[in-house]
Amino acid sequence: MSSSLPKQSDGMYKLVLLHYFISGLCFLLLAVLFLFSIKDISGHYFNPHLLAITHLAALGWGTLVIFGACYQLLPVLLETDLYSSKLPWFTFVLFIPGLFCLIYSFWVFEPGIHMQAGGLLLTSAILTFCITVIRTAKKSKVSSIHKEFIVTSSIWLVATALVGTLLVFNFHYAFLPKDHLQYLRLHAHMGLAGWFLMLIIGVSCKLIPMFLVSRIQLNHLLSWSYYLVNLALLLFLIDGYFYGINLHTYFITMVLLAGLSCYFVYVKKCFDSRLKKKLDIPILKTVLSISLLSLALILIPVIIYSSSKQNGLAVHYSIFYGMLLFMGWITALIMGHAFKTLPFIVWVRKYEHLSGKRKIPMPADLYSSKLLKLQYVSYIAFCILFFCGYLLYSPVMMIIGIGCLLISSVAYLLNLVILIKHKDKSLSHERI
Amino acid sequence: MKEFDIRDQSSFKELEIIENLRTVLDPELQINVIDMGLIYHIDLSEELRIRIEMTLSSSHCPMGEAILQSVKNCLEEAYPGYEVVVDLVWEPNWTYENITEEGRRQLGR
Repeated sequence: MSSSLPKQSDGMYKLVLLHYFISGLCFLLLAVLFLFSIKDISGHYFNPHLLAITHLAALGWGTLVIFGACYQLLPVLLETDLYSSKLPWFTFVLFIPGLFCLIYSFWVFEPGIHMQAGGLLLTSAILTFCITVIRTAKKSKVSSIHKEFIVTSSIWLVATALVGTLLVFNFHYAFLPKDHLQYLRLHAHMGLAGWFLMLIIGVSCKLIPMFLVSRIQLNHLLSWSYYLVNLALLLFLIDGYFYGINLHTYFITMVLLAGLSCYFVYVKKCFDSRLKKKLDIPILKTVLSISLLSLALILIPVIIYSSSKQNGLAVHYSIFYGMLLFMGWITALIMGHAFKTLPFIVWVRKYEHLSGKRKIPMPADLYSSKLLKLQYVSYIAFCILFFCGYLLYSPVMMIIGIGCLLISSVAYLLNLVILIKHKDKSLSHERI
Repeated sequence: MKEFDIRDQSSFKELEIIENLRTVLDPELQINVIDMGLIYHIDLSEELRIRIEMTLSSSHCPMGEAILQSVKNCLEEAYPGYEVVVDLVWEPNWTYENITEEGRRQLGR
């Protein structure tokens, strides 16, 4: 057989599974920590428990699973082999202790050696990840906007980590010239818009038409989206550093919304021109995720208005905005795409050589569809109860909502274990 | 629809191969490789050798190796004693227009 397709090594396969599994554990831990932090959610966002929860969501849940998926998807998106199979292990070994050091020291709030070590370990891990991405992109002969999105997102991630580490040291040495909260806002948006948004647009605009078999892909809209989102972020950082939130922020928001509108139109066109009519649960979760992102975007003008009037509601809506982004947009997307990408990764490893020889299960048969439904339904219940509870100042609704999130995270983790531990039953049956 | 010459024995065999390849599915879309339009040419000019020229929907497709292997395994099972050679080509580039009417019907379910 003459092909030049890449082969994934055993080491990389195990590393990808480890990323998915530990990220699933972080999701469960996140739901548990939420349960103990109802009072904190109702207060100011700059408090130890919320800092721990936010970083667990952003790094342990979001970034870790994205790293794992990237090691699998980069060769697909950039049409070349990964630059190195050792460097990702190095990233992982630095990332995990860094993550838990940081989360623990935020939770108990000890801005000493553990927090600083955590920050430095995470920044080093992120730097090595960025090297893997940039070197792989350099090897790639493909010239596409997807590549620009992915490379730019990894650079923004490094910038986010560097600012984050400076803030950790600032707790102890107080050397930064401006208010800590001002940097925190910039750090958060570098991570949200620079890392998550750039990467999600870059990857999803390749995967969505692939999964839906879309005939029309308006790639020029993606270029507009790339430049406008980056411009908005740069303007926000410069303006935000010197002047904080002010009237200019409305204009910057308009630039961001214009960039995102281009992406939304691109996605809508992919859906409209799709050949695959039936939408499965992972794709429905993508739709839910985009809806929750849109909801968060609507809040931006409200937050700017409340902040400029120094209104107490600014903090309330800022937390709501953060929750919609982390627990809504990012969580729904990960939960959906994990069961779109991981079954294929496991299937290729277990069944590729048997394919065409005898009847074998398909990737969608490797996990429990009942658990997937439970995960989906309980997550929707969480969104409705928790977000409405937060807006209506109802702790009871919020607690029930978090209970649903706990169910969803357990169903997600169990299904991951079923998938990772999958054994070829048809083979043992044949032996009997 | 594939045209065949009733006077040419290899035409029947080619149709038989096409029917066999209809059992090889794309694992994501669950459409067979014929209706996906991935098979470009079946060459039976050499004795005891079946040469398949095919493409994939995208280069570095994560399922690519599995699909190529499936085609090879399927024909080796169906034609013992034959050597099956699968050549992966990228020209002409696969597009959604390659999907047959039947493939589109299955996707629309």
